[in-house]
Amino acid sequence: MSPDSSRPSRGARAHGARPRSRLLSWVRHHRAMSLDSARRLLRHPVASLLTMLAIAIALVLPAALWLTLDGARLLDAELEESATLTVYLENGTSEAEAGRIEEALAAHDLVAQTRLITAAEGMAEFQQALGLSDALGRLEDNPLPASVVVKPKDPSPEVVRVLAGSLEAIAGVGEVRLDLAWIERLRYLAELGRRVTLALVVLFGLGVLLVVGNTIRLSVESRRQEIEVVTLIGATHAFVRRPFLYSGAWYGLGGGLLAWGLLTLGSGWLSAPVSALAASYGASFSLPRLGLHGSAILVGCSTLLSWLGAWIAVTRHLAEIRPR
Amino acid sequence: MIAFEHVGKRYGGRFEALANIDFRVRRGEMVFLTGHSGAGKSSLLRLVMRLERPSRGRILVAGHDIDRLHVSQIPFYRRQIGVVFQDHQLLFDRSIFHNVALPLEIQGVEPHEAARRVRAALDKVGLLHREKALPIELSGGEQQRVGIARAVVHKPSLLLADEPTGNLDPQLSADIMGLFEDFNRIGTTVMIASHDLSLIARLRHRVLGLRDGRLVSDEEAA
Repeated sequence: MSPDSSRPSRGARAHGARPRSRLLSWVRHHRAMSLDSARRLLRHPVASLLTMLAIAIALVLPAALWLTLDGARLLDAELEESATLTVYLENGTSEAEAGRIEEALAAHDLVAQTRLITAAEGMAEFQQALGLSDALGRLEDNPLPASVVVKPKDPSPEVVRVLAGSLEAIAGVGEVRLDLAWIERLRYLAELGRRVTLALVVLFGLGVLLVVGNTIRLSVESRRQEIEVVTLIGATHAFVRRPFLYSGAWYGLGGGLLAWGLLTLGSGWLSAPVSALAASYGASFSLPRLGLHGSAILVGCSTLLSWLGAWIAVTRHLAEIRPR
Repeated sequence: MIAFEHVGKRYGGRFEALANIDFRVRRGEMVFLTGHSGAGKSSLLRLVMRLERPSRGRILVAGHDIDRLHVSQIPFYRRQIGVVFQDHQLLFDRSIFHNVALPLEIQGVEPHEAARRVRAALDKVGLLHREKALPIELSGGEQQRVGIARAVVHKPSLLLADEPTGNLDPQLSADIMGLFEDFNRIGTTVMIASHDLSLIARLRHRVLGLRDGRLVSDEEAA
């Protein structure tokens, strides 16, 4: 103890510790504590597994929803890709005129692609689609107008609506049809799904915090005497907290890996009926899988959340523990 | 080394555990603190360890007002003190070696160096051959010696003991006090709370007497 220094000497200094050796001892303690907490978890395998399972279950639901939503977003993009406008030309427009109008449409800034369907082609398609060739064949005149299918550059409903207005003003155009309602409905549904998922992620994330927090609280309580003793002989809060933070992280890692396993199993189990269902609608939709990226995010978030839960529990609890 | 300046300590606003305590302990001195249980011995030691803060007055240790230590500095302050408890406060889930190594582990001492010092401390208290044993396998006197080894392994400049011989027979008590005298001889300031008056009388050191929270006697070593 040096009477002339204005602050009490930092413990390590008394042993001639330089920053480098202090860092080394810090690393050493981290390694020792991470191994020690892993050993403590392994000493009670069933209890540890139950905690990890609780974490995993709390993570599986939001993760599964998130995945489904991700799949739906792909589907959504595909649907938007197919968003088109149908421009009906005035009845009795000649083919040459129709060609000119199509060129005018194609020249529009917001238009990506056009395809002309002449009155005769339209009739043929119609007959084929309805199987009414006999009935329609008896008609003297072709009642169908020529039409141009326009693919917009930007498929978002607002832009498409503006585009429709400006196309309608072009001479020779009779009517512009756009079917936006279902795209919009799908968007609202997707937004709803997104918000529900977000709420669930927050809720279940909180659940993970509580599960880990409670487990760590109990383990702090069971090591109360040890904490009191080390505090008495000069342990810092960080030193006391460290083993518990590692326990939390281990629980999270285990829970995250279990959740990953459950998700993989679950999507394997569901993929056959989902694909069959989609196929029966003539769509190709399969359950999205957690890629490497997704798996890393899942396990990482789980570990981080559990670490945070442990931190909150230990910090709250340490304030209560005062050496006798 | 330690200076109490008109220190008072109240608990819960009413009970006065210590009142107007005023004394100084020189560096390298060995001092006994006596009094009946409840006289304030433990409260006084808790104040020195900065487990509690005085309600009144100032406590200087090595020239610093320890009441003004920032919370983050308290652990580093405590590392300069060795403490021996009546119930020795050993950790029962680890060996004698690891119990004694605890202060060094906390201070981040390199493992080889730590092992060397732990063995030196255990050798000093005569328990080197038991380093692998668990505390539960030791007798009361041996456990107390492990507690002492743990208190001195990091070479503190101040050694505090609260009834270190409370549960021991006279011969063991004398041995334990002998250990404290050895550490005092190499320059450690030692302060021991004890109500074992006959033992204290034989040892011829300064004795501070407490009664009902007041300092009633201060007898220099004969």
